[in-house]
Amino acid sequence: MNAKQPTWKKNLFRHEAILLVVLIAEWIFFDAIGRNFGTYDNSCDILRHSCEIGLLALAMTPIILTGGIDLSVGSLLGLCAILFGKFWRDAHLPIPVAALCTLGVGALAGGLNAALITRLRLPPLIVTLGTFSLFRGLAEAITQGVDTFTNFPNSFLFLGQERWLGIPAQAPIFIGAVIFFWLLVHQTTYGRTFRALGFAPEGVRFAGIPVERRIAMTYVLAGIISAIAAIIYTARLGQAKADAGNGYELYAITAVVLGGTSIFGGTGSVHGTLLGVAAIAVLQSGIVHALQPSEMAGMLTGALLILALTSSVLPKMISGLRARKSALKLSKPIA
Amino acid sequence: MKRFLSYFCSLAVAASMIGCGKNSEAPAAGGNQTSKPAGKKLTVALLPKSKGNAYFISCQKGAQKAAGELGDELIFDGPTGTDPAKQNEIVENWITLGVDVIAAACENKEGISTALRKAQSKGIKVITYDADALPDARSFFVNQATPQGIGYTLMDQAAQLCSSNAEFAIITASLTAANQQEWQKFIEEDRAKNYPNMKLVAVKPCDDLKDKAQSETTALLSTYPNLKLVMAICSPGVPGAAEAVKQAGKTGQVKVIGLGLPNENKIYVHGGVTQAVVLWNTMDLGYLTVQAADALARGTLKPGDTSFKAGSQTYEIQGDNIMLGKPFVFTKDNIDQFDF
Amino acid sequence: MKKYFRELSVAGALGILLIVLAILAPSFYSPQPLLSLAARASVSLVVALGMALVIIAREIDISVGSMFAVCSVCAGLFAAMHWPLALVIVASILVGAVFGAFNGALVAGLGLPSIVVTLATMVTWQEGLRWLRQGEFVNLPDGMQWFGLSQRLGQWTLVIGSIALLILLALAMKHLSIGRFIYAVGSDAEVARLSGIPPKFTTFLIFVFMGALVGLAAIMNIVQSPQVDPQSGNGLELKVIAAVVVGGVSISGGRGNLWGVFAGLLLLACISPALTHLHIEAYWEKAIQGVIILLAVVAEGLRSRKALDHG
Repeated sequence: MNAKQPTWKKNLFRHEAILLVVLIAEWIFFDAIGRNFGTYDNSCDILRHSCEIGLLALAMTPIILTGGIDLSVGSLLGLCAILFGKFWRDAHLPIPVAALCTLGVGALAGGLNAALITRLRLPPLIVTLGTFSLFRGLAEAITQGVDTFTNFPNSFLFLGQERWLGIPAQAPIFIGAVIFFWLLVHQTTYGRTFRALGFAPEGVRFAGIPVERRIAMTYVLAGIISAIAAIIYTARLGQAKADAGNGYELYAITAVVLGGTSIFGGTGSVHGTLLGVAAIAVLQSGIVHALQPSEMAGMLTGALLILALTSSVLPKMISGLRARKSALKLSKPIA
Repeated sequence: MKRFLSYFCSLAVAASMIGCGKNSEAPAAGGNQTSKPAGKKLTVALLPKSKGNAYFISCQKGAQKAAGELGDELIFDGPTGTDPAKQNEIVENWITLGVDVIAAACENKEGISTALRKAQSKGIKVITYDADALPDARSFFVNQATPQGIGYTLMDQAAQLCSSNAEFAIITASLTAANQQEWQKFIEEDRAKNYPNMKLVAVKPCDDLKDKAQSETTALLSTYPNLKLVMAICSPGVPGAAEAVKQAGKTGQVKVIGLGLPNENKIYVHGGVTQAVVLWNTMDLGYLTVQAADALARGTLKPGDTSFKAGSQTYEIQGDNIMLGKPFVFTKDNIDQFDF
Repeated sequence: MKKYFRELSVAGALGILLIVLAILAPSFYSPQPLLSLAARASVSLVVALGMALVIIAREIDISVGSMFAVCSVCAGLFAAMHWPLALVIVASILVGAVFGAFNGALVAGLGLPSIVVTLATMVTWQEGLRWLRQGEFVNLPDGMQWFGLSQRLGQWTLVIGSIALLILLALAMKHLSIGRFIYAVGSDAEVARLSGIPPKFTTFLIFVFMGALVGLAAIMNIVQSPQVDPQSGNGLELKVIAAVVVGGVSISGGRGNLWGVFAGLLLLACISPALTHLHIEAYWEKAIQGVIILLAVVAEGLRSRKALDHG
């Protein structure tokens, strides 16, 4: 697309805009064929169910923007959940103190990832593959697989299960995280370097920006967010077990990529991630309300991901073909 | 960028206004009504522990038979993966969908109770089957066999097959599975009380994978040369353990028993590798569950009842447990009569 | 010697583990269980070899577990329909190759990132299979198990077959030009293209080959028991990627050899039985696996840092 095109047309074809259209189409579709889908109660439920994955996806966005990845967030959620339970039940700490300690654990775990990736310059995929096993393994070892933490006080369970001023109680935390990440990634000069790091880390280094510290911060943030998600998860379920958050990292990555962030880094947005999370959450709820088997939600998510990827590549391919065609026309044959 | 944001915001506001305008249709069970008149079609939602599990598919068959006889609509859906929160999400979706009664097999006792209590507060009836929730989260539990019954039957079978001081091992589903943990508790209780010289040497998880059960059993067989019996308390584990014993050439020397479906174990039972498979008629379980769910929603089944008639059979109610009966032991002599 | 430091250190770790087992738990070395363990590991080895090629080419494939399950069930169903054994084997490999081609077309043809493509295909095939089979086992006809041979012969066939494949591939990677192409594409695709190597076609072929190997591994797995569990293959991708990485293959492509992968696979495959024999509780397994992966990757990082300092 050349620069002479009007802005609204450019915006219309942006990935996020298309995803928004898909999301609205999903909503209308499931409202039509589903039972009691488009109700306020269900909207609140969709929001509640997608809080933890939404938080993880938000935290994953800066990481993927810088060209990294974090496969350990789901396992860290499980580890933080059981540690939270242990701090509260076995160390007899009051809930807020236990929560703070859990955030500390999350930050430390994120710091482990950060240290291995930035200090030792190890590839994020494999480091976080290792910590993915390690964190889950620690959770299983600490609980010996069998211990679960329940009977939390009602004032705590309120966070995950009840409504505050009409919206789900965990929503303000989620909205706060959304605002935080959106400001961080899009408005602060600090956060704008994330995309630059994805494109050309060496260029960023020459600009005098401490590359390692920025990248490390993204992983530490992810650790803290995993801990917050773990607390909300425990409140929602009323129970903390070692297998909490199983599979959440893949969901988060799917949401981020669906939202238009390139897995190689460099391009992407927080609102795209948000739309990605919403698209998947609406799909899952819609499938149940339409009385279809749950497997369908998984298959459609996979198909949606492939379509999203293909559609982001097609315009480039078409313009590439066009450019080659016109180049052929213009070039003169060598005599 | 700014333009995009403004589109986004206005659309979000529009969407939420549409959502707010439409309040939930009263769930079919009704907030104020406690029972439905006979003859109206009910929506019964059946929740397995996980889909893709042949055990629950056979429950579903029985359930469908009951739903057909009663003229009810049956929804069968469950988690497809290992996420423990998924059951809660499906139940909550059913609440907004507006089902009349939910019958749940609970993966996480305390966790699922949160969602079930919410369903009850919205006027939806709740019963559990196969694996119970907390008592205040449901009206009845369709009990195929108490955990005590299952644990004791398994241990007693094991003791019958081995000498009084034999070593045995358990293959379980995953370390976090609540049902299996409860059965293990009672197996241990029975062992300590009645067979104190029998020794449990190891408990290994197979993550509900037959192949893993096979490798774990192979390792157990070589680690513990005096091992006399393998008890597999998850259904993919029984054929897995049996195959391992067969491949190690220890058929008959090391006995195999477990909780499993007859169809998956017929070859091993006939081959003398597996001596006993303990279970219950899962189709009857599904049938009874839906019958009870329907009766509960219609008000014909009330707390305090001592018996319940489903189809042509009458079932005893102990407290709030509807008893399917005793665990059934499939052996060489009777396993061919069953097809599930 | 220095060049193969990574691979040798993995082999060393494996050696230490085996020695510890020999001292503390000699029952590990009973021949029949060891053969059974080897037969099971041979299945993972075949898949790991394919994964090594994919990772050397700077791609990744996390859909192998789902492909494995689908191929296993397909092969089981073909066998249950009384197709001759040879046809079942060929069919399974073809089914795998078709799935691999799908991945390859998206990655090489459209230039999509392989991690996301294979994430999407993994979820789609897994859920689709679950929906269709609903967890039901497939009963194989008699005579299918162990290819119709005796158990010992069948197990030895699997073990020797997988090692033969390892040797063949290792030689091919070193001496055949296609092998060098893979290393070239993994190091720098653009330079490879300028040298006349077709990077897209090479990448496509690698994914097809991966799929075919998964199909072969599926057959090797189903002949080890009379029933097919549609859940088999669960967690295979993690197991195999871990083995490849521990074995010294660099995730950024262009480096690694298959002997290291062999050592890495054996090391990880021995953890679970080692825990049993050493009477260590099962819930330590994941934590130990995680530590091994991290140690391996730290060693890799130190190696490449040293190379940067020296080179």
